[in-house]
Amino acid sequence: MSSGDATELRGELLDDFYTESDEHLGTIRRELLALEQPAAPSEHAAALDRCFRSMHTMKGNAAIIGLHSAEALTHAAEDLFRLLLRQPVGPDADALQLLGRVAGSLEAIVAAHRREQPIPEADTLIKELREFVAGLTNHPPAADGAPASGPAAPVSAVARWVCVFSPTQELDRRGVNINSVRARLGELGEIVSAVPSVQPKGAMQFEFTVAVRQPPADPGAWAADGMVFRPALADVVEPERRTAGPSPAPSSSLYIAPSHVVRVDLARLDELMRITGEMVIHRSRLADRIARSPDDHAALQEVNLALGRSLRELRDAITRVRLVPVGEVFNRMPFVVRDLARDTGKQVRLVVDGEHTEIDKYVVERLKEPLLHLVRNAVSHGVELPSVRVAAGKPPEAVLRLSASTVGSSVVIRICDDGAGIDRTAIVARAQTLGISAPPDPSDEDILDVLCRAGFSTRDEADRAAGRGVGMAVVRTTIRELGGSLSFAAERGVRTQFNLRLPLTLSIAETFLVTAGEHTCALPQEFVREILPVTPADLLQIQHAEVLSCRGEILPVLRLRGLFGLSSPPGAPMTALVLNTDNGQVALVVDRVHGRREVVVRALKDPLVQVPGITGATELGDGRPVLILDAAALAGRRVAPTARMAERISA
Amino acid sequence: MSNTESYILFELAGTAYAVRSRDVLHIEMLEHITPVPNSAPWVEGVVFSRGQVIPAINLRVRFGLPNEARTARTRLVFIRHEERTIALIVDSAREFRSIATESIRPLGETALGISGHHVAGVATLNQQLVLVLDLPSVLRTAQAESAPLVAPLSN
Repeated sequence: MSSGDATELRGELLDDFYTESDEHLGTIRRELLALEQPAAPSEHAAALDRCFRSMHTMKGNAAIIGLHSAEALTHAAEDLFRLLLRQPVGPDADALQLLGRVAGSLEAIVAAHRREQPIPEADTLIKELREFVAGLTNHPPAADGAPASGPAAPVSAVARWVCVFSPTQELDRRGVNINSVRARLGELGEIVSAVPSVQPKGAMQFEFTVAVRQPPADPGAWAADGMVFRPALADVVEPERRTAGPSPAPSSSLYIAPSHVVRVDLARLDELMRITGEMVIHRSRLADRIARSPDDHAALQEVNLALGRSLRELRDAITRVRLVPVGEVFNRMPFVVRDLARDTGKQVRLVVDGEHTEIDKYVVERLKEPLLHLVRNAVSHGVELPSVRVAAGKPPEAVLRLSASTVGSSVVIRICDDGAGIDRTAIVARAQTLGISAPPDPSDEDILDVLCRAGFSTRDEADRAAGRGVGMAVVRTTIRELGGSLSFAAERGVRTQFNLRLPLTLSIAETFLVTAGEHTCALPQEFVREILPVTPADLLQIQHAEVLSCRGEILPVLRLRGLFGLSSPPGAPMTALVLNTDNGQVALVVDRVHGRREVVVRALKDPLVQVPGITGATELGDGRPVLILDAAALAGRRVAPTARMAERISA
Repeated sequence: MSNTESYILFELAGTAYAVRSRDVLHIEMLEHITPVPNSAPWVEGVVFSRGQVIPAINLRVRFGLPNEARTARTRLVFIRHEERTIALIVDSAREFRSIATESIRPLGETALGISGHHVAGVATLNQQLVLVLDLPSVLRTAQAESAPLVAPLSN
């Protein structure tokens, strides 16, 4: 989109973008400065993380307003951040200098856009970033764990050692405790991480990773004080596969000093989050009042923005406290798979990936049953007997993959087996004998719908692991209640895969408020790739479907008015939001975009209002519920306007 | 021995109905309802009450009665049933009354020629007939009917 088109967008949106860009650029500059100063690795990691988040948010914002040079530049810079975040030591001077230039270039791009001047090109800098990243990745850490850092790294670390310390009362009496150990290790080198663990008999153990200048000289003396050394295996600490997406708080748990850990009841955190949610609503009302007031309240507006920032920080802080590794549920799966495979005479290897991905504690608790069900289903329905597999030319041992990753503000969990896939014809036939209607040529979505019907089962008699015909319905209901979505893909004889997409945080989401006629809905921002004005001439009719041609792409169109059974008045201005989801892309055409709003998400728990296309509801401070649209369902074309809705409205 | 239970009376198209007061959370004036696309025809939408988003059922449509414009007397009766909270839109909510359990007769015995949909029984109070709402029935059939994509189970 050219800057000319962009000016036609609502100025409010652009104002938001400029204000936020200033904020994020400020953060990036501040943190880059902090990174130049010597500090503990944990502080450097936190500064890098803040920098990375700001860069990531800027990328999303730039994409939304169509500022592609800024988007491309932040994207390239993100790659460098990811790499730096994986390093045990802080970024070197070259990296910092490069990132400083990225910030400068971004500033220039945003300023040019604001003044509607030609956007300065960033291609050279992007190329430099790519080369720099390539240079770092071509020299991975050596086997002894020496980090691939430049000369200006804060520690001239040559090797990493792991020290396991087991405190005892006897040692404590001699003054050897966790604090004295930290001090002594600090003399050897830089403590990279400290991980507490509880041993089988309830004893505590601490595992320190230390970047040492020289290997510990006299292991015997250390051992007498309850410390055992071994060289660290760098690749075990940071496996490559963990780099799929930005982690919300990378490795932060590694940096917690064990003596400072507090256990908190989840209900207390809920209460904190609820209060924060109320404050967010109050602030929105305040912003409304200021905006509607005829007087100029620039000073008040500034305070209001600052309050908004603090509230976001508070919310993020509470969110982080609530996050736990999804490994909490993954850990039980090897046993489940082993037992079930043994009972059914099958051979299954479970591959777990991304178990460190963090997600809300409440979500993890609620996920236990659905995940268990899906894993059991995979073993009992998906995986074939070894003889059948061999006959089909597959290895006798099946592979079941369970993986988690963070994508934007969602966590995606995948359960994939390389078994028999799904026999669509059999499913449809089975559905018909049970009186469940199913289309003759079902899509993956249709099959999932059938599988999730209460009462559907492919087994005539309930077996031990699956087949009670309630499981999938419960799986889908639970995921919907958590504000997430379930999708499914299967290839006959090759694989069956279930994808669970869950919000990282339950309570608050960044949304765009959109309208159609008198209806206002909220649309989660993370799915919005672009917003552009459209005229009826931009929308083409191809057979029965409407499409929008956008930058050479043909996108299916869904009108929000249609969802509510309203027709579109001819010639009225419209706005399209290009949504990017797991189910593909769709252009959602609305009357107007009312700007952005942080909303407190409330799940629609009652089956009466659990309908496709709607994921929850919120309230904006005036006592009226506003529906939150389900972008994935809209893109999946699962939502058709209902004639009934039209009748009711015209009645 | 006579068992009595407290009921709340409300009116719908000129007929008095009763719902057990222990099922009722509170009663509110009707302010704003947000329609929910693709829900059942008798689901008017959602309302916001006491920090929760709650579905509102239009009882007139549910009972197959003609739908009429809301008036100043229109009320939302919030009921709690099996962990669910639902608002019922009624023409007006009247009063608390104690009804003796044995005075509630099944509809079939009355030969009144009224449809038995969602009615648990009928009682007479001061020579006036009161239909006792069958709450599980009002809400239960809901699930199958509100799923628009696939037809309900045949059983």
